Amino acid sequence: MKKRIILFIAFLGSVGAAGQTCCSGGVPLSNNIGLPNEGKNTWTISLNYDLNNLNTLNVGTKELDDDSRKRLTHSVLLGGGYAFTSRFSAEILVSWVNQSRTISQFGNENFTETMGFGDTVLLLKYAFPDLFMKNSQTSIGVGTKIPTGDSDLKDGNGIQLTADLQPGSGAWDGLGWFSFNKALDIRPSGVVTASIIYRLTGENSEYLNNAATYEFGNEIQAQLGYVDEFLLLNNLVSPGLILKYRKVDGDRIDEQLIPNTGGDWIFIRPELNFLLFGDLSLSLRTELPLYSYVEGTQLTPTYRFTAGITYIIRDNRNDLNIIQ
Amino acid sequence: MKKLLILCLMVIFTGCSSSDSEATVAPTTTGQDPVNQPGENGEQGSSDASWSIPVDEVYDGGPGKDGIPALIDPHFTTADTYLEDSDLVIGFKSGNIVRAYPHIVLDWHEIVNDKLLEEAIAITYCPLTGTGIGWNRNINRAETTFGVSGLLYNTNLIPYDRATGSNWSQILNECVNGELKGQKIAFYSMVETNWGTWKKLYPETEVLSLNTGFSRPYGTSPYGDYATNNDRFLFPVAKDERLPLKERVHAITFEDQARVYRFVHFGPGNNIIRENIAGTEYLIVGNQDFIVSYAMDVTQTELDFKYVLENSNILLTDQENNKWDVFGVAVEGPRTGETFGNARSFMGYWFSIPAFYETNIYGN
Repeated sequence: MKKRIILFIAFLGSVGAAGQTCCSGGVPLSNNIGLPNEGKNTWTISLNYDLNNLNTLNVGTKELDDDSRKRLTHSVLLGGGYAFTSRFSAEILVSWVNQSRTISQFGNENFTETMGFGDTVLLLKYAFPDLFMKNSQTSIGVGTKIPTGDSDLKDGNGIQLTADLQPGSGAWDGLGWFSFNKALDIRPSGVVTASIIYRLTGENSEYLNNAATYEFGNEIQAQLGYVDEFLLLNNLVSPGLILKYRKVDGDRIDEQLIPNTGGDWIFIRPELNFLLFGDLSLSLRTELPLYSYVEGTQLTPTYRFTAGITYIIRDNRNDLNIIQ
Repeated sequence: MKKLLILCLMVIFTGCSSSDSEATVAPTTTGQDPVNQPGENGEQGSSDASWSIPVDEVYDGGPGKDGIPALIDPHFTTADTYLEDSDLVIGFKSGNIVRAYPHIVLDWHEIVNDKLLEEAIAITYCPLTGTGIGWNRNINRAETTFGVSGLLYNTNLIPYDRATGSNWSQILNECVNGELKGQKIAFYSMVETNWGTWKKLYPETEVLSLNTGFSRPYGTSPYGDYATNNDRFLFPVAKDERLPLKERVHAITFEDQARVYRFVHFGPGNNIIRENIAGTEYLIVGNQDFIVSYAMDVTQTELDFKYVLENSNILLTDQENNKWDVFGVAVEGPRTGETFGNARSFMGYWFSIPAFYETNIYGN
């Protein structure tokens, strides 16, 4: 049971985060990848809902007194992972996304909305138990983002919308992932977690009715946190606190840098997870910006909320030797 | 249990797939403009949703409708301002009122709905094409205001009028979608020059205030080096390489054609060009700081003009001893009060002119 708890906690801290688009308003595909290896022949299924609210207009690090623009992204993310061995595993994440842009100005409210399937992420992972130290797990992964989402949606007048309102990016991306989790010797239920994920973006060569190419900026994010667990009314509850750094390069159209794209952010992410029963767990996370620097003038994240469930299907419940 | 879970996931997955196939976009607008009520057909203003320009070349610019807020109640300050001498301004004169609309403000608002005496005017400026054009806000005898639709055609501003919700092409100066589709808009003659030159022409000028009611970093371009980088474009547009793409030029438009004048065409002792274009006699006057043009009537073509600009706004004199200011108004002499005709001309980045008009270049 103790090992499962550590695994569970490791999972909580292993998830990364990333927006899809130039203004951080898109689908958090890499927000929900990095499932832990639960042991050979184990399936891990997750279903998450993510709300990303951007209602803060910044120039550089300065917040402007203007809340007339709002971007909301609702995402439903279905993830599935399978461990071929206790070290080698793979996972897939598919998404459905609803994005909206609301301009409240001059007493009017102008609302634009898109929805549809988003892009899909595939990730292959390899775990190294106790690679650097005892009671630790180091994992690396490589993957790709497959452009399964539409990137050419038009509005009701037949006018194609910009890249950051599209459910998909229209490009194949490469992903690199590194994760490290260490159970504390002095408090085995406490786990220090760290991860880095890098996204090397591809180019959408069919942007704006094939008239241009578009490439979202490359992105790196790193996070460091601590998660622990305790019993509450005989239920395992695991709070965590994650510090996340995210840097996104500017987007490019026809290989030319687009102003007002890219930036640096630091977020704090408190989270709470409940092991409901058996292998079913519920997680709640919120993400708040501590520092926001945007290139030029951009909407920047105001808050993000994620709720999800994870279910583990084990073929062999004794095969839980990840931490060891 | 495992089979049940997998079945549930398949159901969910299938649901997502159907949503994907029904991916929708639903632009809607609620509320009403406090300045002008929408037309009877609502926000879009027309039952005719078609466009007179290729709709697949009309793009959503990103900020959305009114995401770039046009000014509807501009405030003005005196000539002692925040501007550097090299900052570009668009100047307009009505009676004794002279106003300057700086690019560094227009970059963030693109349209200023103003009223000088009885003249309801919209200063429209597109930072992506560098075109500044003055429009008459009285359309079909009703005064309206213009807003920024958030749409672009040939990477150029598409204003919309709040009376009908119709969309207009700035460079075509024509309604391209909506109730007023096909209707041309009345021009006002504007002078675009740098602040140092403008304040010498009109020391008493008023200047658009930074007190706009909006929080924006005026003085910082929202588009970085776009204005000077010939390689940087944010939206697809035809690129005519006959001239540097971002060179500021003066264009006279007539029907679907344009004739372009460059600053290199003007210099000491060479400030006046007279040309007959499509049956109209034009007078083009320039120096290294500004280019203006006028359409002359029959009697004006008989005048022999002399460039006299020094320390006032008197640009030309003629053999009748008339004095003409930079807006083409005779301010002294027997023709006092007479004006040249509007040349339907404006300043803009070179690439934007052939993107809309069959264009030839003076001197080529």
